[in-house]
This record gives sequence, structure tokens and C-alpha cells, in this order.
Amino acid sequence: MKKTMRLLFTLTALALGSSASAAATKNLNIYCWSEYIPQPIIDQFAKETGVKVTVENYASNEEMLSKLAAGGGEYDIIQPSEYVVEALVKEKVLHPINHSKIPNLKNIEPQFLNMAFDPGNKFSVPFMAGTVGIIVNTDLVKDEIKGFSDVFKPANKGKIVVLDDAREIVSWALLSNGLNVNQVTEKNLNKIKPVLEQWLPLVKVYDSDSPKTALLNGDVSLGVVWGGEGAILLNKNKKFRWVIPSEGTHLFIDSLAIPKTAKNVDNAEAFMNFILRPEISKQISEEFPYLNPNLAARELMTKKQLENPASFPSDEEMKKMQIFKDIGTRGSDVEELITTLKAQ
Amino acid sequence: MSGFLGSSSGVPPKGTHHRDPGLWAWIFLSPLILWLLLFVIAPTAMLTLVSFAERDSLGRILWNFSLQNYARAFDWVWLKILLDSLFYAFLTTVICLALGYPAAYFIGRAPERWRGFLLMLVMVPFWTSFLIRTYAWISILSKEGLLNSLLISAGIFSEPVSLLYSPFAIVLGLVYNFLPFMILPIYTSVEKLDNAMVEAAYDLGAGPLRAFSQVIIPLTRPGIAAGAMLVFVPSIAMFAITTLMGGGTNPTIGEVIFKQFTAGRNQPFGAALGTILLFVFILALWLARSQRERED
Amino acid sequence: MALGVWTAGVFVFLYLPIALLVVFSFNSSRLNIQWEGFSLQWYAALFSNKVLLAAFQNSLIVASTTTVLSTVLGTLGAWMLYRYRFPFQRALGLLIFVPMVMPEVLMGVSLLVLFVQVLNIPLGFTTLIIAHTTFCFPFVLVGVQARLQGLDPSLEEAAMDLGATPFQAFWKVILPFLMPAIVAGALMSFTLSLDEYIVSVFTSGSQSQTLPLKVYGMAKVGLNPQLNALSAIFIAATFAFALCGHFLGRKKNL
Repeated sequence: MKKTMRLLFTLTALALGSSASAAATKNLNIYCWSEYIPQPIIDQFAKETGVKVTVENYASNEEMLSKLAAGGGEYDIIQPSEYVVEALVKEKVLHPINHSKIPNLKNIEPQFLNMAFDPGNKFSVPFMAGTVGIIVNTDLVKDEIKGFSDVFKPANKGKIVVLDDAREIVSWALLSNGLNVNQVTEKNLNKIKPVLEQWLPLVKVYDSDSPKTALLNGDVSLGVVWGGEGAILLNKNKKFRWVIPSEGTHLFIDSLAIPKTAKNVDNAEAFMNFILRPEISKQISEEFPYLNPNLAARELMTKKQLENPASFPSDEEMKKMQIFKDIGTRGSDVEELITTLKAQ
Repeated sequence: MSGFLGSSSGVPPKGTHHRDPGLWAWIFLSPLILWLLLFVIAPTAMLTLVSFAERDSLGRILWNFSLQNYARAFDWVWLKILLDSLFYAFLTTVICLALGYPAAYFIGRAPERWRGFLLMLVMVPFWTSFLIRTYAWISILSKEGLLNSLLISAGIFSEPVSLLYSPFAIVLGLVYNFLPFMILPIYTSVEKLDNAMVEAAYDLGAGPLRAFSQVIIPLTRPGIAAGAMLVFVPSIAMFAITTLMGGGTNPTIGEVIFKQFTAGRNQPFGAALGTILLFVFILALWLARSQRERED
Repeated sequence: MALGVWTAGVFVFLYLPIALLVVFSFNSSRLNIQWEGFSLQWYAALFSNKVLLAAFQNSLIVASTTTVLSTVLGTLGAWMLYRYRFPFQRALGLLIFVPMVMPEVLMGVSLLVLFVQVLNIPLGFTTLIIAHTTFCFPFVLVGVQARLQGLDPSLEEAAMDLGATPFQAFWKVILPFLMPAIVAGALMSFTLSLDEYIVSVFTSGSQSQTLPLKVYGMAKVGLNPQLNALSAIFIAATFAFALCGHFLGRKKNL
């Protein structure tokens, strides 16, 4: 035991020493989803520019938001999803970006630019987009599945995995009632409550991080999951089929933005431009089979990647997609509704 | 329950002498007091303050006094979730005790030079990443997993059954992760048992079972009480296991508070639920201890 | 005998997922779910993954420092509370349990606010270690308290009668008596700290990213089997170390 302690102390001393001497003049402090920006890409940026990059991770938009709101950490780049960008813009906590520093913005497909959450992309650039859809194990489910109403049927009780995300679940119920995903009002929540009361008892697993696990293991037969998860499953096994719900679904855009408190804005902009390079963006797509908004990067991708329906929805499907708006304080009610129904 | 809540008390039992503290005693106690003041009392006080506040759309605290969070918290649904969480924690504690006591006893009575090694053996599995460990359990329990194929090839089941994403899986996960916290404190109680006393107990001709229940168990009661606390208390608010292995269909109090804090962006409401949890818990502990002191 | 079999059973239970985790570290599939073939690629990749290794190093630093602090704080606290009668004794005894029952997110966020807005300590190793110590030391304290119950008071008195100061009596007599509980408490603290995620999210800085922080988002792409390799190596190293210590210690005793 004594020896262990001595060894650990030596380790402590070593590491404290190395972190103290690490303060270089050129820095970039990235706060991103863990693994979302593959390490080789960060290494390459550091090598090309000589900037010392540190990376801090989070596992959800809200973890990032809580830490940012409390004033913890000094970040140069953050990676919020579209509705969080909207809230951050509204609260004026983002630093405007200089488009002349980010010429690679031209690589982005126009439909992903100038969106309502950040008109003119004054504060954010798109990183990766994606959607939510239905994945079906056709070995186990023989009925035809077209939309949410076919998934949430008593026959599928105990066979369903869905994202553990209250806002998502509520948005599916809104769509099923012919409402827009952003019409999250008290009245509408009451309206969809009976629908959810029937849906939720049918669900076997709630999992936002890796719904593919339960599907691959055969514990569930179908689910409503992220496009990227669906794409991985489609690549794994031909028995899986991907369906964009007939009721419609939503499109998310994970973006890069610079907080107002950033100390290394130039490096942050250089990093944004670097990420938007076709060959870099393509590498990210290889790790994460989401919808890559970078047209130039798509030209470098294989046919198999581009034809994966869970990664790249058809133009017709794209038209049915809606984008989440920030619902602010209403989020708490949405959480409460889903928790209450789960607890019953 | 008041039995084990009460007996792991900070107050020494009668018969031991205790003195009034002098200057040195205060100096040696001061690190504990300072730590509690700064990092336990201060944050808890802040939390309680926040529970009376409001928040803006980004989740930042607005310091307007409000009772709405408490009004909202007094709803049967949160009570039910709390009771569910307490039930799982209680079940976990009982199973950990049943599983862990014999093992702790064995380790504590093993030859002295082996004890440290065996103790370490109990803890080392938990020096791996929680997620990796849990995913290993998932692949053991899943429909196409290890356990199902074993049971089927042994002819016990004819087709795979769903073991995962069930209350069984939740309890298994909780027991697995908290078992060492039961074994270790019991071990420290067993380890100090006097050999002569153990032998005398057996020699009374009472039979091993009676010797165990009438002599050894009462002597190791402080260890049992400590182990029960170390398993029961932290497992109340634990929710990573219930979501990963239970499928997230049974919300627990820890999960509800986490979600209100993060996705709900409602720290005041989360803080109110947390304050109530703390208050109920401290009250129960205090009552249990007063009760026990009266009995003594 | 029956006890031995039972204990062996408990160890099988404890090591079942660990065995599987080690097996999967040699799996050629990236997804930690099905076996697809033997491969050493994850071990090779691990050794060039400086981010993962650095995070692991940070975890060890935080866990070992936390262990030392919690052990000192917990042992000293338990002894003082046992030996003397302080005002607010019972309140102190109850407060110990607050960090244990407090949901992690509440603790993480409230400590974050305390560090950043009140104490003005920049987030980093210091804040992370303070936060970890706060939820670890009660485990030591409760364990040591249990060991102290039923302590023979004559033990300390005898030492003092022989001319020892209270300090010497504590150091020479009480501390050795408490050692099993202290070791148990240290093991528990180390384990709790090594695996903590939620509190770490809120109290760490960019220079003090621990392994769980790197791991938790990973499930999205599939948990990297390099983690299995890392766990396997760490467990193997711990065993090698413990066995060496065990046999060396034995030689000395002979």
C-alpha cells in the first residue's frame, strides 16, 4: 500500500509539473461533445497551426449550458445544437464570427445556411446535421411500418426503443396530432397527453446514447432513433430498415460557435474554417454517419455512404422536416410530463 | 429500518469515556469542521436559496422569492418516484448484506497475510470504467447474450427470455456496483473479533448457527450498520444503472432532479426537490438516532 | 468451507463482467456487443492514444490525491468525534451524510457556483479534488466510526499510563488498530473518485479532464474497445503489483 502511494505521488508530481508548463502563447480551448470531433483532426489542426489545443467534453447540450451559465471555464469554441444556438444568440452570449476568416463556409449546402436560429450565420457555422427516424428489424417485425402510429401499437408492446429525450418524444406526439414540433404550449401538451399515455407503456427501453445496443442484441425489434444510429445499424446488418415517419420528423444541426468570453477568437475562427475543409469534414462523416451539410465533402465520400438513407434523406423527405426552436422555460414542463407518464 | 439507520451513530455508546475538548482537540477537529462548512453547508445553503428563486429561459437564476417550486414539488408523482427509489435502495441493501456478509466474514477470518490481498480483490473490478462494466453486463443479460445461451443449452429455457431492461436487471446492477461498500466495512468489524471469543462461542455447544446469530452478528453490528448506510444512502439517488440496465422506464429521484437541472433548465425546481430529499433524509436519520439513544 | 464456496461465488459474480470486458478487448469489432474475431489492434491503438492516456493519468492523480485527503479527513474526524464531546456533536454526525445522499448534479452545480462565483478558484485539479474529497471522505469516516465502536478504552489509557501523550497514544496505538478500516476507506475513496462522472463534469477544467469525462459521450459512436484494453492492462498491473507486494511482504515476515 505504501509503495502504491509513493508511486501515485510521483505520478502526481509529474503531471502537475507538465500541466503547469503547458501555458503556450497560442491556445485554443474547445468545449465539445466527447468524441464528436475525432482526435486525429484536432492533432492535425494543432500541427498545421502550431496552436496548443485543449479539449473539454460534455455529453449533452444542457451540461454545456449549465457550465457556461455558471461562468465555469473559458472556452473558445463550443458545439451547440440549433435550438441552443438560438437561445445563446437571443441571450447575446455569442461572439459574432468574421466571415472573411471562414471562406470554407461556401462548401456548405445553401439549405443549411441562413437558418432561422441564426440568420446570416452571424454566430455559428454548421458542423453536422441529422434527423430522427424509425429503424425496424424486419426479421422480427413483419407489419409494414410507415410512421409513429405504426410503431406505437399495442402489438409492439415491449419491443420498442426510443430516445431518452422528453422534447423528442413530445415532438413525435405533436406531429402525430398534425401539430408543428415547436407548438409546445400548455394547451397542446394537454392535448397530446392521452396519446403519450398510450405510447409510453409500450416502450421497453429509453436510450439516447446508444439505442443501437438494444436493437443489435435483439432485446427490442424497432425504435425511434437518431439517423446516425440508424446508419450504423444499416451498415451492420441487412435485416434493419430505415423509415422516415410519414407524420414528419425534425432536422437537427449541430453547430460550432464562439462564446463572448473567448480569449482566442482568431484561433477559433481558423478552427471553424479548418473543420469546413472537404477532406476534414469527410473524416468526421466516416466516424459519424450523420447528414453532412458540406457539399464539397460529400463529393469525396463513397457511394455507399451517400446512399445510406439514414444518413442522407431524400429531397422529398427533407421537405417534411422541421427544426426545433428553443422552448426556454417550457422545457421543464416537457420533462415533467414525460416523467409523470413514465412513473405511472 | 430505523435499526440500521440508528446504530451507525457518531455518538459513542455508553461505557466509553469521552472528554470535553481542549484546544488541541478543537485544532484537530477544525479540518473537518472547515470542510463541512465550506463544501457541504455552504453549497447546501446555496441550493436551498436557489430552491426559492426563479430562472430565465437559458436556465440562469433570477433572485425573485417564490414558493412555486415547492408548490409544484408537493405532488404525488414525485413522492411515488422517491418511494420507488427508496425501495430499490432498500432491496439493494438487503441483498448486498446477504451476499456480502459471509464473504466479508471469510476474508476477515482468513490468514492475516491474505486479508489485504482479498480485500483488494473485492475492489479491483471497480477500477474499470463504469460504462464498460455496465455494457459487459448488458452483453451478458441481453436476449442474444451469454446467460441466455447458457440457459438454453442447459435446457432450462427453450427460448431466450428478456432479462435485461427489467427490475431484475436494475437490482442486479445496483447490487453489483454497491457490493464492495457492504463487504469492506463488515470486514473491518469481523477483522477485530477476538479469536478466543469466537471459539468460546462455538464451544458453548450452541452450534455454529446459533454462535453466529447470537455472538458474531451482534459483535459485528457496527460494521453491518456502516455497510448498510454506505450502500443504502448513495443508491437512493443513483440513476445511471436504472437507465442503462433498467431501460429508463422507472424514473428515480436522482434522474428526475438531473433532468430538471439539465434538459429542463430548471435549477430552482431541481433544487427544491433536492432540498426536500435532504430534509426528509436528515429528519429520518435524526429521529432514528434519538430513538436509539432512548433505547440505550 | 461453505463460507469459502460462498466467497468464491461472490468473486465469480464480481469478475464475470470483468472477464467479458477483457475478452472484448481482443475483439476485432468496434462495437462492444458481439464477438467478431481476435485482434490486438485496440492495444496498439491505445498506446498511441495520448488523449485517453492523459485522461487516465489525470484520473489517477485526482483519485490518489482524493484518497489521501479523504483518508486523513475521515480518520481524524471519526477519532475526534469519538474521543471528545463537542457542542453540535449530533449535527456534525448527521452532516457527514449530506454529501452521500445529495444527488450528484446538485453537488456538482452548487460546488461549481461556489468555486467560480464565491471563492474565485479557477476550475482545474484543485476544484476537482476538493469536490471528489467532499463526497469520498464520509465513506472513510463512517467506516472508521464503525471500527471505533467497541474499542477497548483501556487501550489508550494503558498507553497514556506508560507516559505517552494523547498524540503518541493515537499514533502508536489507535492508528494501528484503525488500520483495516482506514485501508478499506482508502480503497472506497479511490474507487469512487476514479469513476465519478457528473460531479466531475461541473468541477473540472480543460487541463483536468478525467477518463469518465472522455468516456461518457463515447457510447454514441460505440464505446471504444481501447477502453477495454486500458481496463484490462490496469487490472493486470494492479494484480501484478499486489501479488509482488504480497510475496515480498511474506519473505520479510519469515
